[in-house]
Amino acid sequence: MATATPKASVSGAAFEPLSSAFAQNPYPAYAALRDMGEPQFFPDFDMWLVSRFDDVASIARDNSMVRSPEFFMSAEEVHEQKRLQNWLDMPHHERFVQFSMLDSDGEVHDRLRKQVFREFTPAFIARQRGMIQSFVDKLVDSLIDKGEIDFVEDLASQVPGHIIGRVLGVPDEDCPQLRGWSEKVVQFFDINRTDERKALAEQATTEFYHYLQKLMAERRAAPQEDLITRLIAAQDAGHLNEDELVSTCMLILMAGHGSTIDVLGSGMHALLRFPDQMERLRQDPGLIHTAIQEMFRFESPLPFFHRYSTTDCVVGGRAFPRGTKFGLLYGAANRDPFAFGDDAGSFDVGRNPNRHLAFGGGAHFCLGNHLARLDMEVIFTTLIKRLKSISLAEAEPQYKPGLSVRGPKALHLTLTPA
Amino acid sequence: MYRVIFVDADGQATELAANEGQSVMSVAVANGIDQILAECGGSCACGTCHCYVDEAWTGKLAAPDDSEQGMIECLMNPTERSRLTCQLKMSAALDGLVVHLPREQY
Repeated sequence: MATATPKASVSGAAFEPLSSAFAQNPYPAYAALRDMGEPQFFPDFDMWLVSRFDDVASIARDNSMVRSPEFFMSAEEVHEQKRLQNWLDMPHHERFVQFSMLDSDGEVHDRLRKQVFREFTPAFIARQRGMIQSFVDKLVDSLIDKGEIDFVEDLASQVPGHIIGRVLGVPDEDCPQLRGWSEKVVQFFDINRTDERKALAEQATTEFYHYLQKLMAERRAAPQEDLITRLIAAQDAGHLNEDELVSTCMLILMAGHGSTIDVLGSGMHALLRFPDQMERLRQDPGLIHTAIQEMFRFESPLPFFHRYSTTDCVVGGRAFPRGTKFGLLYGAANRDPFAFGDDAGSFDVGRNPNRHLAFGGGAHFCLGNHLARLDMEVIFTTLIKRLKSISLAEAEPQYKPGLSVRGPKALHLTLTPA
Repeated sequence: MYRVIFVDADGQATELAANEGQSVMSVAVANGIDQILAECGGSCACGTCHCYVDEAWTGKLAAPDDSEQGMIECLMNPTERSRLTCQLKMSAALDGLVVHLPREQY
């Protein structure tokens, strides 16, 4: 595998994604990267960062750009990649997280996605509306007279896990522990792969696996109308093996979990930072769809994904060899004025069209996109209807550090019922 | 260059030019047809580039493959004339193709 010739890293002050300054506001650093024009080499992870909308979109949508190094590297090269990324010696993580629909391509990926895609299509997801509304109604009932809440902990984090759990077939009472496991696994996708974080991810994967084994055994004994039961039937029909079944369940339970919590938090924060937009939404609830799209564009919850090129290619006017690792910065692309106009940095609940990249592109386009948006639609519509006013009860919400997630740690609000 | 005509839900028609092999989806996206969302960019992965092919043209298209058919069945309001525009590639045989746009993709 050809490695890119190292050059000076992105100009010192401009790009420190683990810093607290970046956590509070990554967008100036993203703008500086975009202004450099061509992709920039990031030596910490041997990858070329891509930040302009056109470049990120063309890579994301190009299925010759792959997630999995196995697709074109030898076993030794893959092993070396994993060693460099501190992804070795994690037996359960390797079986169920490092191998997954997300980290496979071509025929393997397509076969796995084919087993589950129906449950996430517009028509199927629309049928979940009643269930989601009733869950959110009960949750809001329990919070509405509290006066002050932490929107992230008390509300946002209570919803996505339960909803996807119900789609999959996880009992309600088991859903809270899914969140803990998800967070511990997802944190290890970020760029600071310490041994401590590694141990957390492996431990969480192991516990998650044992839980799913138990659940699968229960469903075999007593099938239900849920996705786990359908996946067991698909396994019996030879469409996927047991490890792939476990890996797919884990991915589905994790992928949209923290990310939806994060964009709920940052979306609410955006409405509160820009009260004229909250007012627009109150006056015209029909804007909810464009408002949610704008929340995803403005604070993309999963701002960083990678791709390997399987051919020599040209990106941003620069030639790259086969095997180049690109870091796609969706958060930067989604604020590119070349794509979104001079007001790309503004939060506009009526923005339309809004061809953002928060859900990625190509064959790996976010499977759960319709579910995430429906969760958000139900939550924001319900809150705006039932609360006369929502205001921020803290000066400056703190955002999570790192490159691979974007969302507030907490969001303290004062609520006044309608 | 070939012609493709997009008719919106109110009957308003827009005629656009397409290159050999260009998808109907990419013609739409390049020319401000906002009803074609095409969020995944053409990989049959999102179901948001849906159109209803005009009756005069349904017989002239090759049948959808399994992936496209699977997605079509799961759209909001599919009919026998439903296709995903990312899978329709323009050619001389389709010069003048007429497609009808849904009011909303989801």
